[in-house]
Amino acid sequence: MDMDEVLKTFIAESQELLLQMEDALLQLEHTPGDADTINAIFRAAHTIKGSAGLFGLDLIVAFTHIAESVLDRVRSNELQFNAELTALFLQVGDHLARLIALVDAGADLNTLEVEVQATHETLSEQLSYYLAPATAAKPVASQPTRIERGNASGLSADHWHLSLRFGPDTLRNGMDPLGLFRYLNTFGRIVSIVPLLDRLPSAAEMDPETCYLGFEIAFASDADKATIDGTFEFVREDSLIRILPPHSKSDEYLELIRTLPEEDMRLGEILMRCGTLTAAELQEVLLAQVEGQQRDEAQPIGQVLMEQSLVQAPVIAAALQKQQQIKDNRSNENSLIRVDANKLDKLIDLVGELIIAGAGARMTAKNCGHSEMLEATELLSRLVEEVRDSALPLRMVQIGATFNRFQRVVRDVSKEIGKDISLSISGGETELDKSVVERMGDPLTHLVRNAMDHGIESLQTRQANGKPAQGNVCLNACHDGGNIIIEVTDDGGGLDPQRILAKARERGLVSDSQTLTEQEIFNLIFEPGFSTADQVSNLSGRGVGMDVVKRNISALRGTIELSSTLGQGTRVRIRLPLTLAIIDGFLVNVGQAGYVIPLEQVEECIELHSDSAITRGHLELHGQMLPVVRLRELFDDDSTPPRRESVVVVQQGGLRAGLVVDQLVGEFQTVIKPLGKVFAACRVLGGFTILGDGSVALILDIPRLLTQLAAPRSAVPFETKQSYAHE
Amino acid sequence: MNELTASDPRAHANAPGQRNTAEHPRQQYLSFMLHGRCYALDGLSVREIIQYGRPTKVPMVSPCIHGVINLRGAVVPVIDLGLRFALAKTQVDRRTCIIIVEVSDTEAAQTLGILVDAVSEVLEVVPDEMNPPPAFGNPIPSAFIQAMLHQRNDFIIVLNIENALAVAEIAGQPGGNNALTA
Repeated sequence: MDMDEVLKTFIAESQELLLQMEDALLQLEHTPGDADTINAIFRAAHTIKGSAGLFGLDLIVAFTHIAESVLDRVRSNELQFNAELTALFLQVGDHLARLIALVDAGADLNTLEVEVQATHETLSEQLSYYLAPATAAKPVASQPTRIERGNASGLSADHWHLSLRFGPDTLRNGMDPLGLFRYLNTFGRIVSIVPLLDRLPSAAEMDPETCYLGFEIAFASDADKATIDGTFEFVREDSLIRILPPHSKSDEYLELIRTLPEEDMRLGEILMRCGTLTAAELQEVLLAQVEGQQRDEAQPIGQVLMEQSLVQAPVIAAALQKQQQIKDNRSNENSLIRVDANKLDKLIDLVGELIIAGAGARMTAKNCGHSEMLEATELLSRLVEEVRDSALPLRMVQIGATFNRFQRVVRDVSKEIGKDISLSISGGETELDKSVVERMGDPLTHLVRNAMDHGIESLQTRQANGKPAQGNVCLNACHDGGNIIIEVTDDGGGLDPQRILAKARERGLVSDSQTLTEQEIFNLIFEPGFSTADQVSNLSGRGVGMDVVKRNISALRGTIELSSTLGQGTRVRIRLPLTLAIIDGFLVNVGQAGYVIPLEQVEECIELHSDSAITRGHLELHGQMLPVVRLRELFDDDSTPPRRESVVVVQQGGLRAGLVVDQLVGEFQTVIKPLGKVFAACRVLGGFTILGDGSVALILDIPRLLTQLAAPRSAVPFETKQSYAHE
Repeated sequence: MNELTASDPRAHANAPGQRNTAEHPRQQYLSFMLHGRCYALDGLSVREIIQYGRPTKVPMVSPCIHGVINLRGAVVPVIDLGLRFALAKTQVDRRTCIIIVEVSDTEAAQTLGILVDAVSEVLEVVPDEMNPPPAFGNPIPSAFIQAMLHQRNDFIIVLNIENALAVAEIAGQPGGNNALTA
């Protein structure tokens, strides 16, 4: 196997786990002491440690080991997660992320940068502080004294019997049998313990990192089987764990003896030494074994268990339930497959080709007029449509995970700037293309930080204005037609248009004679080199930022706008296309060219009765004025128009317009081919598509078209202002 | 293919003296006619030559973009070199061809088509036949010229395809109806 590949998987997995850990930590702030959450954190740390061990990343192993030990103490209720510990663990997570990033970059972890090294040492020290009381209680030597040895009380098997054969990798996986025993002691008493050293090789061959140990344990406890079973959750996979409840029938011991790798007779003796069986009982068991062998060579284990279940019904039911739960969790985890994004892209490309080919076949069939052929292609296109519908969501992910990351940002930043700010999230289940989600992280971070730093006022100001002391930043996502809308809202002081205008004039972005609408003034925020912050803070306000945000959003073919009410807050609204590779479109013809309008934006189609509408620039529709534009004129097409033209009424974000076209063709499954760099400056096209006959059609970018049509003619074109600011 | 694009074709023309003639005795150039003149292109950047098929006109872009064609499922822009060289619009007749070329941009290779009046032949060129372009008096902007090829008592303009088809430049030339922004 390719080690690099595996390492990549490790890195990706660890990053994911660290995110989960962070989520869990933040959740703990709301529900302190929640065992599941604590376990989740532990599991994350544990898995990272285990995997890091595989790659010999000793630094990470050592570090996570300390963290894990602290977590272990939390699990056993010796420690509580408080704000301080949470903060520490958040830092631990950050540090691990950094180390893993270094691994990803191919750096040598043995020679860390001074700064990283310092963080590493400080954090290790802080973690050890939480371990300090434990280390006193921990010494290995003291452990056996707590366990009553040999043939102590409880001979009549009124205790549990645990047979443990730890897998060779147990230690490497970060589990310590001693820790498990300690954990057992928290809800019971180890009556006796017999170590099995059979697997120990000679000293020369022994690998100190390999676990050779096995144990037979008599354990007195009132806990149910599930609890005891849970102790071994993390070692179960490669270890042999057998747990027998108190007063088990001899058959069960027999089964145990049979399934354990050691020789039967010897095991019996061990069980005796353990105090689980008396000599007489052992005799009986072994006798039963001989008889059993004679009677029925292979009595199915299931049957034995069935018999047992009658006796120990509640215990086994609980155990089964627990096991089922674990199994369910496992199968849930297993049902997710990590797939290379490139493979998905390739698949979606192919589906696109399939749709084009299908459309071509259908058109040919139509032209032939062969009814059976037509039927066959109909069926085919229905299937292709289904394939499309199930292939497309593969790339879609919920934005919730991205939103949740901001809990941390808000938490950290609010501490840093000394404001009490909460984050509320809605619409996290909104799905959008993975590549878009990934590229939204930076712009959103900037907007959220901006909202916190500039938007939310200081406590004094808030109180003076009669607002709640805690500021609120809200992230919201929703669908709107073929678009996704993402909003960042704050309940802060809002923006003062006059102040922005003054600043813009001062910077020469706007001339003194220009009068701008409020919306235009707000849009100045997105100009390069613009900042309203009077004080430059660490976070934002250096005048870089909003223009970068705008550029990022534009690169995703999205738009951004800002609205604000002075004293009440600001709302930044980002509108993004779904950027699906395939959309439902409506095909129209103008001159020789085909144009596709996304179906979601088509409201209705009407016939154009009089030419006068075009000269007037609008027509009356349902008693309302509808601006119309002739695509043929807009696009400089000099071919002669047909006698009858049609109007496609499109709407987007409150803007409506009629587009006059030559001919309506109909609905069309549109595979979007990107515009490419040559057409990067094109302002009205969203992409290309290939029609069934092999010709290329153009996809109209309706939102941009409408915005440009609606733009007041007096306004200075954006391009001019931008180039001015660059100088 | 990677090998082909990786080797820099200009290296041969710029340093003719250092080239090992035994190893690469000749280099191939594709010659074509445009507005009554003969031009040549480095054979390494040519992917294929296709017959002129009706392209789709793209509105509101630089006029030197003749349109887009469907090249086996990929949408390829076709450039009118006549307009790009500020000569005149190329008239389409039955000998008109589209040469598909690959231009390496800053990041990725870009596939473009160029509209030519007719494709002539593949020329075998030895380095000695390559002359530097004259400083002035060229029929087309000198940035687009890589060298002058002297063959059969005639000078053929060898195009610097990276400059002639500079994607950023073509994309940046606004065109079409200005009604939207006026």
